[in-house]
Amino acid sequence: MVTQSQAPEVVRVGRVGKAVRVLVAVAGIGLLINGSVRASDDAWPFGPMSQYAMSVPDDAKIDYTRVSAVTDAGTTVDVPLNIEGAGVARAEIEARSGEIVKDPSLLQQVADGWARKHPDQPKYVKLELIRDTTQLVKGRVEGPPTSQVLATWEVRR
Amino acid sequence: MSIANWFTPTIALARIAWLRTILYLFVILDMHAFVRDTRDKGEHPGLYQPLLLARLFDLPKPSVANTTVLYVVLIVACLIGATNYFPRVAGWIVAPAFTWWVLIGMSDGKVDHDHLALVIALWVLPTVKADSRGITSYSDQTRSEAAGWAIRCIQICVIATYFLSAVAKLRSAGWALSWPGSAVLTWAIVRRPHPVGEWLLHYPWVLHVMQWVGIIGEFCSPVILWLKGRWQLFGALFFLGFHAANTAILLIHFLPTVVCWLAFAPLERIAPWFQARRSDRDTGEAEDQAEHGRQAEQQAGA
Repeated sequence: MVTQSQAPEVVRVGRVGKAVRVLVAVAGIGLLINGSVRASDDAWPFGPMSQYAMSVPDDAKIDYTRVSAVTDAGTTVDVPLNIEGAGVARAEIEARSGEIVKDPSLLQQVADGWARKHPDQPKYVKLELIRDTTQLVKGRVEGPPTSQVLATWEVRR
Repeated sequence: MSIANWFTPTIALARIAWLRTILYLFVILDMHAFVRDTRDKGEHPGLYQPLLLARLFDLPKPSVANTTVLYVVLIVACLIGATNYFPRVAGWIVAPAFTWWVLIGMSDGKVDHDHLALVIALWVLPTVKADSRGITSYSDQTRSEAAGWAIRCIQICVIATYFLSAVAKLRSAGWALSWPGSAVLTWAIVRRPHPVGEWLLHYPWVLHVMQWVGIIGEFCSPVILWLKGRWQLFGALFFLGFHAANTAILLIHFLPTVVCWLAFAPLERIAPWFQARRSDRDTGEAEDQAEHGRQAEQQAGA
């Protein structure tokens, strides 16, 4: 055992230093509370912690958005919506699906991303933004999902 | 005054040194494993939608040039900061650079909520003046109020991540407590299907129990700031278990928050513990040698 020969030294901050630190901490807490009570994700890092915060009713329709592609090899595939796949995450596509419906050319970057990351694989020639809907009945999944095409984009070369 | 002192407890500088090394190295991991699409966004800024902070500071749109520079600067500054040589200079570079990095990563319609404590930690760490450099800083037992304030800020942000997510659950239901009895986990599993979660879909009541445990834990989380010793450890273990469950069911790990739980850990005791062990062993060896010596003398005398 090592015996402590003397009590460790204590370094204090000055009055001003302490006041500034306390004020900054209190202001930070204020920003966090403000963010959680009134703001949106836009206020990051002081926005609300809203991931998975919604109450989903027992009879909800659960939407799942995906992108389906027809390739130049004639196959139809599900586009891997992640950074390694098409370079775009599913959450980004879901968050922007309204804009994509209005302007399907936004899907072009999915094809570009895929072509850039996988130059030796079949290219996408046509993309479809598809919404799968799963129905809940009394909080349980009822049957397989139904699919709806939201937007179609013929890929530019 | 006592409230002011609560914000500035005296904590050994060694804890700051450990956190510097761990968090700056974690940032490098984060840039490759978690917020890893920032440079992709520089190449394809099509979906870029700047967040409030980026607009306030009029930050440029991500490009190949600025995201590459950001990447290199961050890696170099993190490596320097992690050594505890020039930790404040490096720290003041890492803080804004990583904030910008994450800001770009989240500027496309989706914002994650696991980076609050880490980002704030990076901003408060460089406010602490180091007494010693490099390897000796890990055993610096000098207690400092500046260190205590930085640690307290990180702790508050870790806890806020949980408490405020309970608040968000009330808010999204119009300030009502309908979340724990709702089908939110079922919804989440359907959208992120994988074996453990899909098996649980058959038992909605289990999911409801988990929702209740989660929200009650989140609401009670601030208590941990005032707990001490092993009770605080139990609190921390509860939330680490909570993350383990989330990872198993939803593949959501929250590691950038998890690593900041180390602000609660008495890391400053690592070096003395290690030294004590070593000196125990040294004393043991010294005694062995003395014993050998005595035996040799006896043999010589015999």
